[in-house]
Amino acid sequence: MTKRSDIDLLRNQSTRGHTGDIWNVAVDEYAQGFLKRRDLLKYAALLGLAGFAASQGLFTPGAARAATPGGTVRVGLGQPTKAIDPVTITDPASIGVISQVGEYLILDDPKDGLQPKLAVSWEADETAKRWTFKLRPGVKFHDGRTVTAKDVVASFERLVDPASGSSALSAYKGILSKGGAKVVDDETVAFDLDQSNSNFPFYVSSDVYNAVIVPSDYAGDFEKTFNGTGPFKLESFRPKQGASFVRNPDYWGDKALPDRVEIKFFDDEQAQVLALQAGQLDVIPSTTRLELAIEGNPNFKLLSVQASSHDPAHLRTDQAPFTDKRVRRALALTIDREAVVKGLLKGRAVVGNDTPFAPIFPSADPSVPQRKQDITEAKRLLGEAGVPNGFEVTLTTERAYDIPDYAVIIQNFAKKAGIDIKLNVLPQDAYYGSATFGSSPWLDSNLGITDFGHRGTPDIFLNATLKSSGAWNAAHFNNPDYDALLIDYGKARDLQAQRVAAGKIQTLLLDETPLIISYFSQYSRIVSSKVEGVRFTAISHLLLDKVSFV
Amino acid sequence: MAIVRPLVARAGSLLLTLWLVSALVFLAGQVLPGDVGRVMLGPFADAQAVAELNRKLGTDQPILAQYWHWFSLAIRGDFGDSLSMRAPVAPFVLSGIKNSAALAGVVLLFLVPIGIGAGVVAGLRSGSLADRLIVLTGVSLSIVPDFVSGLLLLMVFGLWLAWFPISGAAPDGAGFWTSSYHLILPALPLVLNLIGYVARMTRAGVIDARAADYTRTAILKGLTPSQVLFKHVLRNALVPTVAVIATQSGFLLGGLVVIEALFGIQGLGNLVLSAAKARDFPMLEAGVLVMAAIFVSTAAIGDLLQALLDPRQRRRSAP
Repeated sequence: MTKRSDIDLLRNQSTRGHTGDIWNVAVDEYAQGFLKRRDLLKYAALLGLAGFAASQGLFTPGAARAATPGGTVRVGLGQPTKAIDPVTITDPASIGVISQVGEYLILDDPKDGLQPKLAVSWEADETAKRWTFKLRPGVKFHDGRTVTAKDVVASFERLVDPASGSSALSAYKGILSKGGAKVVDDETVAFDLDQSNSNFPFYVSSDVYNAVIVPSDYAGDFEKTFNGTGPFKLESFRPKQGASFVRNPDYWGDKALPDRVEIKFFDDEQAQVLALQAGQLDVIPSTTRLELAIEGNPNFKLLSVQASSHDPAHLRTDQAPFTDKRVRRALALTIDREAVVKGLLKGRAVVGNDTPFAPIFPSADPSVPQRKQDITEAKRLLGEAGVPNGFEVTLTTERAYDIPDYAVIIQNFAKKAGIDIKLNVLPQDAYYGSATFGSSPWLDSNLGITDFGHRGTPDIFLNATLKSSGAWNAAHFNNPDYDALLIDYGKARDLQAQRVAAGKIQTLLLDETPLIISYFSQYSRIVSSKVEGVRFTAISHLLLDKVSFV
Repeated sequence: MAIVRPLVARAGSLLLTLWLVSALVFLAGQVLPGDVGRVMLGPFADAQAVAELNRKLGTDQPILAQYWHWFSLAIRGDFGDSLSMRAPVAPFVLSGIKNSAALAGVVLLFLVPIGIGAGVVAGLRSGSLADRLIVLTGVSLSIVPDFVSGLLLLMVFGLWLAWFPISGAAPDGAGFWTSSYHLILPALPLVLNLIGYVARMTRAGVIDARAADYTRTAILKGLTPSQVLFKHVLRNALVPTVAVIATQSGFLLGGLVVIEALFGIQGLGNLVLSAAKARDFPMLEAGVLVMAAIFVSTAAIGDLLQALLDPRQRRRSAP
């Protein structure tokens, strides 16, 4: 098919009022070559044109060959930090366990974008303030009861209720409040939002990992039954040891291929990799250190997905030496981003441009020039700012992931421009402290590096870390122009308008440099070569229903 | 019954120790950064949700009120619910004790005969090549940290030779032998670490006892060498060794955080560490108190054994 006739076909996909208009803007972007076909299809899913996206082959699972069912998938995970309850989970291990049994309205698949799960279709009204979701009929919880709109509404009401101690409250702040989710009929749910949001489907997707659909009478005792709708159901659970799950014969979709999933919790990642090497595990989470242990070994594969995870360095814009934006820019200019991606992250990352707009976000404006290492320019800016011989500053950060190494790399690059960085590396919980301004090294330090996990949209990064009133605004960035641009960005209804607004934000952040974001890292897992079809998201969901053994 | 009074005094000091420890744990919790709700919901949770969770858990109450609430229940044997696991503390602690005791048992099973045997050989032949080898090997082994030897042993015996399972925790429903088999590899680094110490103590005891007057008297009385060795030399020589083994048992039951983590054994050390990380005070209190009780009682048992073995001590404790 020629591109031209392809485009004509695409134009006629949506005849629904405003959705049609937005869709046609996206098609124009695609026609002019600003949008990859894959991104266009992902966008179709966001607008609720799921049926169309499926017809274009977007929702077919990766494994095309006929796989034999059977077998037990043995999984190593970290030690969950507390009782496993969808409403309060925060740690990767618990998310890995919950993804065996729990499902979302929509799955945000790293490869294929939004995929309908317990919701089959969705659409917004004119203002994008009211979103309506059609539920998949006839889905049953593991205890045999049918999933209705009442369960879905109760699940979201629980998450946005401050009294429930839900860890998703910050994700919904300013977007959805108590009373916002409503039953329309047994198979339809509507959400009245606090303000317009064109990206709302992401907020009811797996991106908010707490948004698992549980029965309306759920009482917080998830570990007793693990009662969800997923392709596996509970066989046994031993706190602090592990859990096992068996195929759910009443699953609404394709039945899981493996008979069982066996999960074992590990306190020590060394022990985890040893158990994998001894052939006692099939899948484990990955860290840079563990990757070294299996490098070049044909018995193991390293699988990675693109993500928006990043470790921003914040520069306190209200405190010397970083009150002058020239000084902030100078420090950012000392970093050789390509070297960080190749060396520290072994190429499993993409270069960042000091804004939260990761390349995987379709709304990011790719035409904004990439900042590169330029020591001469850095020195010139320091001279202009009145510190030609550099200055001394302390970088405070956490002992987590690759961050301590990254801090040393920044320290070495900064030396080239005469900036003398002293390192202060704290244990993770000490670094976060009470996570409120005034009693948290994270939010109070002059210069610091923090770990941010993957999000499906840049919204929460833009709001919480950079808005003047943001709860995670460690840079203490207080810029009325930025705050105004952010409002424009939120109002933008179509992809083109979003990109224009994003471009302005990206340009402003490059000029101001409250944050240095030199990379967006991928999310990886180590898998035995004997298994095929392990899928996962960048926020630790582990999908094993399509796994088969070679 | 001269032995009873010191025991009563011991029990009194044990209770006092436990009470002090429980108060210290509570106080220490106040200096740790972050509150319970914050630690449980993570740094990115909304402040309102954190405050609400603290209210629910009662962790927003003044410290003295919290302590009193905990203490008044604990004194009746109710250690409350774990904050992080949302379940009663007791079963967790009991299974922690069970797993730690099993590991300590396997360690002692190897440590006592090998350590004492090597020490006796070295003591009887002091100055010989065998003696020097035993002492040198013991010292060399004791300076290798347990996480290093643990990893090496895991790689050699668990991975390459595959003689032992990687995990120290046996699967569900495993019998006594299977469970013990799973514990051999985790026990080894500790055995290696302590064996030199036990052997040196025994050796010194043997050398002292052989040089003592009572040994010379026994030999002059015409007793056979084996009678001399077992009745006179060893009985006296092992007094310091018994004390050492008793105090080390306390450490084996509660201080094995590294080995437990490496081999995935849910023992007391692991329980206390994860409770501290999660600011889970009921769990932390119960775990630490059990550990303290073990430390104090193993020390007491050591003293008691010493008294039983050493006639001079028995006389000293008499009025």
